[in-house]
Amino acid sequence: MESDSAAIVHARDLTKVYRVPVRESGLGAAFRSLFRRKTRDILAVNRISFDIREGEIVGFLGPNGAGKTTTLKMLAGLLYPTSGTLKVLGYPPWKREKHFLRQITLVIGNRSQLVWDIPAADSFELQRAIYNIPRDQFRETVAELTELLDLAPLLRKPLRNLSLGERMKCEIAGALLHRPRLLFLDEPTLGLDVTMQRRIREFIKYYNQRYHATVLLSSHYMADVEALCDRILVIHHGQLLFDGELDELIERFSTYKTIEVQTRAPEGDLSRYGEVIERSDGYVSLRVPRKETAKVTERLLAELPIIDLTVEDPPVEEVVERIFAQGHAGPAPDEEAERAPGTAGGRGAS
Amino acid sequence: MRVFLTLFRVNLLFELAYRSNFFVQALESLSHLAFSILGLALVYSHTAELNGWSVYELLALVGVFFAIGGLIGFIIQPSLQQFMQDIQKGTLDFALVKPVDAQLLVSMQSMRIWKLTDVLLGAGLIGFSMWKLQTAWSWLRVGQFALALLDGAIIVYSFWMIMATLAFWLIRVENLLVIFESLYEAGRWPIGIYPGWLRMALTFIVPVAFATTVPARALTGRAQPEVLLAATGMAVALMVLARIIWNIGLRHYSGASA
Repeated sequence: MESDSAAIVHARDLTKVYRVPVRESGLGAAFRSLFRRKTRDILAVNRISFDIREGEIVGFLGPNGAGKTTTLKMLAGLLYPTSGTLKVLGYPPWKREKHFLRQITLVIGNRSQLVWDIPAADSFELQRAIYNIPRDQFRETVAELTELLDLAPLLRKPLRNLSLGERMKCEIAGALLHRPRLLFLDEPTLGLDVTMQRRIREFIKYYNQRYHATVLLSSHYMADVEALCDRILVIHHGQLLFDGELDELIERFSTYKTIEVQTRAPEGDLSRYGEVIERSDGYVSLRVPRKETAKVTERLLAELPIIDLTVEDPPVEEVVERIFAQGHAGPAPDEEAERAPGTAGGRGAS
Repeated sequence: MRVFLTLFRVNLLFELAYRSNFFVQALESLSHLAFSILGLALVYSHTAELNGWSVYELLALVGVFFAIGGLIGFIIQPSLQQFMQDIQKGTLDFALVKPVDAQLLVSMQSMRIWKLTDVLLGAGLIGFSMWKLQTAWSWLRVGQFALALLDGAIIVYSFWMIMATLAFWLIRVENLLVIFESLYEAGRWPIGIYPGWLRMALTFIVPVAFATTVPARALTGRAQPEVLLAATGMAVALMVLARIIWNIGLRHYSGASA
């Protein structure tokens, strides 16, 4: 992996150990725990390394508790790394220097930074005061965001009168008023309906291109990641299992392909070609080990009256689920031998 | 300051939309005041002096009590309760990524504008008592009073801040603050009327004495310089302590203290 001095994020062996208090119940015990705490350590992020360049949209994938939020929080300066090197925009993020904070923003799905009781427009004014945004620039940005996100009918209503999706649009607008260079989006589409998800995705893409902003995104929704991310980091059990493009992820981790055939001979046993997933008259969907795809295709074409045949990668969800199911095992089993836990996680592709 | 003014404006706009709240609050303040005065009248129907305080001097004390109480209700309590919720809900992260001092920001993030009626009532009471006492005005006395009041406000704020910051460790500390609220009620009477141990507690453990008795003494020209000095020292010390605990709390929150 090349070490890029122009990298916006530079992380080497980044590690976070949580010291969790083991606490008995009761106020007395709680007070005692102020002075003498029993703790145990939890390894949340285990020596992960990566660089992110300006303008990239990077997706963090991982199940709950995998360490992706912890990683994002370290990058945003909210958590102090236990060990390793970390530079974000050239700053050590945990010091939360003003120049650093002015260039970043944070959006967390289902959590609101705008004030609940007042209209979003007033909350925007507050952001303007906090970031000391010049009035002209502020007006321009609000106008632009209002148009892009259709905020006009929403801005004057108290936030609590808006739907979840409308609120999220306001949240995102509020987080971008100071035109940050680096966006941390933690599950930004959580709980939104499909139309609204798409809307927000399109907007993120637009913002990324318009301002050449770097976007770090974590999401459960594969659709978010598929639509947005040039690059994906898969984190599981605190380790970086994969770092690369989505296609490459499928290439490396999916051990199966799906072959769909239309045939004129609907009868007959097809299980000798592969696992039959779906079958209706004339149409069959087969799951075939990746390495045998070519061979099976050849045989199908030779032995059956085929009308149409397509070979497809399995859906990303399935691939990712398989990676998570493998747990500690590291990269795909046919790729590399199992790594001992505790050693550096996968350095990722190339 | 810019942020404060914007917050104030935004909150004012919000409260103006719910004008009935104003009347409810005004009614509450007035009845609170009426009971306080009734209590005073009752006491002074038996005696002309309480612990060396004449009736109008004590009225001035009630004025200070209202003014400081109003300040707490206006900004300190709502902001710090919001802050404790922020810790629980994880929304504190938003304050921490802002390029302004996070302690200042959380300390003024929420306001209840109508609580300022208490401050106005308090000021009115103070003015009325001064008029009744026929006090001779001097800049020295005004200065002393202003200093004592500022000390009192800082001490109360710092105390609340320290209590609220404990939420970093304890998560639920609202109960502690309820205790403070009831102890603050003790501040409506001069600290001298309480038995020794309670007096010590109200001076040093829960510094209510500095918030009400000392400013009222300064106002009525009975504050010894050393008391004012002690109050100022206490204010500075508590402010610094609050900041230290805040910093430790943040380090704990971000896991840097481990």
